[in-house]
Amino acid sequence: MAKNKTLKKGERGHLSDLKIGQRAKVIDLHNDNAALRRRILDMGITKGVVVEVLKAAPLGDPVDIALRGYELCIRKSEMANIDIEVL
Amino acid sequence: MKIALIGNQNSGKTTLFNLLTGSNQKIGNWPGVTIERKSGIIKGTDFELNDLPGIYSLSPYTSEEAVSRNYILDEKPDLIINIVDATSIERSLYLTTQLMELDCGVILALNMADMLEKKGLTIDEKVIERELGLQVVRISALKKTGIDELIEKIKVYDGKKNSVKTYPQPIEAAIEEVSDTLSDDNNKRFVAVKLLERDVLYNIDSDSVVMSCIKALENRYGMDTEMMIANFRYDFVGEVVSKAVRQEKKGATITQKLDKVFLNKWAALPIFAVIMCLIYFLAVGFVGSFTVDFIGDLMDKLGVIVGDGLKNLGASDWSLSLVRDGIIAGVGAVLGFVPQLIILFLCISVLETSGYMSRIAFMLDKVFKRFGLSGKSLIPFIVGSGCSVPGIMTARTVEDESERCATVVLTPFVPCSAKLPIITLFTGTFFGSLGWLAAAGMYLMAIAIILVTAICLKKFYFKGSPSNFISELPEYKLPSPRYVLRDVVEKTAAFIKRAGTIILLCSVVIWFLLSFGWNFKYGVDIEDSILASIGNCLAWLFYPILGEWSWAATVSAIQGLVAKEQVVSSMAVIAGLAEDAGGASILNAAIYSFFTPASALGFMIFNLFSAPCIGAIGAMRRELGSTKAMFKAVALQTTIAWVLAVIVAGVGNLILLL
Ligand SMILES: Nc1nc2c(ncn2[C@@H]2O[C@H](COP(=O)(O)OP(=O)(O)OP(=O)(O)O)[C@@H](O)[C@H]2O)c(=O)[nH]1
Repeated sequence: MAKNKTLKKGERGHLSDLKIGQRAKVIDLHNDNAALRRRILDMGITKGVVVEVLKAAPLGDPVDIALRGYELCIRKSEMANIDIEVL
Repeated sequence: MKIALIGNQNSGKTTLFNLLTGSNQKIGNWPGVTIERKSGIIKGTDFELNDLPGIYSLSPYTSEEAVSRNYILDEKPDLIINIVDATSIERSLYLTTQLMELDCGVILALNMADMLEKKGLTIDEKVIERELGLQVVRISALKKTGIDELIEKIKVYDGKKNSVKTYPQPIEAAIEEVSDTLSDDNNKRFVAVKLLERDVLYNIDSDSVVMSCIKALENRYGMDTEMMIANFRYDFVGEVVSKAVRQEKKGATITQKLDKVFLNKWAALPIFAVIMCLIYFLAVGFVGSFTVDFIGDLMDKLGVIVGDGLKNLGASDWSLSLVRDGIIAGVGAVLGFVPQLIILFLCISVLETSGYMSRIAFMLDKVFKRFGLSGKSLIPFIVGSGCSVPGIMTARTVEDESERCATVVLTPFVPCSAKLPIITLFTGTFFGSLGWLAAAGMYLMAIAIILVTAICLKKFYFKGSPSNFISELPEYKLPSPRYVLRDVVEKTAAFIKRAGTIILLCSVVIWFLLSFGWNFKYGVDIEDSILASIGNCLAWLFYPILGEWSWAATVSAIQGLVAKEQVVSSMAVIAGLAEDAGGASILNAAIYSFFTPASALGFMIFNLFSAPCIGAIGAMRRELGSTKAMFKAVALQTTIAWVLAVIVAGVGNLILLL
């Protein structure tokens, strides 16, 4: 997706499309790697969970997101596999 | 009674373990410090407590989870203490929902209670107790509150288990149906859930009850069972948390404020560079080498005093020589570095406990990804600058298998504390006031070797495997002075102990081999000694680096396999025996007069980057999982070191000619 496009409230996209400070609800995740998918689920990224993008690393990747009362760092490439709806 | 301590990474398990058992296991404020099971006895009882690696789930995928899961299933502990970081309770209780499915009893220790107020959280543990059907104790492993109550609860634990339904009715029914088909009576509910999750560690027949249950559930909920079960677990936990936890909005926390600076888009990398340079200057540069000179002088004086003392007592020539030229010279040569090591250990310990380590990984992940490594590889590298052995073991925090193996192979390239004596000796002698520059160059060279080798490994060895970076960012914590002190004392004591045992023994052996010829007569010229003849057989290995057939340098370098500081120790013993008048530095002895700055640099490079000491080689073997892989790694390291040393020495000598 184009870099400068900002998703609006109610729009759907991937977690990696969110700008810092945006909140979104997770709709689905699809990942070919079973171990990675399970790990993401175990860390609490399940359907319906609300996540907020807090900050990016100084070089832009990975990204720090808040969910379920804690902070998780995750690469953009993994976030691209997570479908969300902006809140 | 056998008790297992289970909890998320960085939840304070090891802190609690140390507190309960009175031992001093390693803690650090980054996820994944504990990598092996450790056991101890709870003070004042006869209960065996087992500290297991931190995990987020009992999934079958990561090695830490496998260790914990196998321990629970095979060793069947009588009780699990589930330690939960109260400040991220929602994620933590997800693991609890899995532990609840085991037959084993669970006591929930709600840790970090001291942090709750600061974060504006109030937790009603009675509600959690009721909703989960578990005993809950609020503790702070750091501030030591609630510990007596926890021990009391363990003592009166009666093995009773409450069953709580975690899932909606259709799933609970399926679990029931599946567990009825199980013949093994152990952990039926747990196994049934695993089967329904299509856990890869269990075989599922396509026409079994399990499969039909899975199909029915997947049709009903429109997602695969693995995701479904994770979802419902989190739903259940969310429900409990909404009843038991209240969150007041608070202003920015200290961690948020600090991150504004330390993870600032522009300032983060410069700050990181400054911190690393500071550590370097304190430990290796100016301050460190000053202390080394100081202790070196002391050791020389000690040699003279002891020598005179023994002479006055009428000691024979050979015993005098053994003590002065063998033991004091050999052991003294490495003991001189103790103050420098203390500074280094102190810096690493503070880095580890403050929470900055995880941020380094976070910051530089993008760079390291390019080179086929994870940002988390940096943690082993930094730990490895203290000692390669723990460095190699902490490579387990890197999840991806090929990245982990690459990290294991690359960690020994980081100059460890035992290599500091080598760096200081050579740069100090040959580069005078520019010594610090040469020493800094060695660290930069280490980084370059690591990155280039990483790329090559990725290109030719671990081809195109996907990698990931998923990590928690812990809160900043003020390092506990008591723990840091203990940590530094322990590591320093280990170094001194090595000086008093292995290095001492080697020095004595070297002294014998130098003082005796093949005719076993004392007092031969060292050129005719046993050691010289052994060295002469192998000197061709180092001729391309040194430009000289030097048995003395050869045998010393080979002894680096025992322990890297032994290189310096051996060179000192040889220098001492070669001539009685000790110069200002070991390397001023006539036997080393062939060294040019270029060949010294080459020789140092070989010693720093070739095969690590036996201890680290053993750690590599364990972590790589096979002797063959270990030999390959050692061969790779030694080849790189040798080639580089030859090139540097050759080019350097050319420059010197100009
Ligand atoms: N404020 C506070 N900090 C704590 C408490 N317990 C532990 N810590 C800190 O939390 C960090 C992690 O502690 P560890 O004991 O290493 O955690 P662990 O669960 O063994 O971690 P891993 O080995 O990585 O799985 C350290 O910095 C501790 O000092 C507590 O009760 N309160």
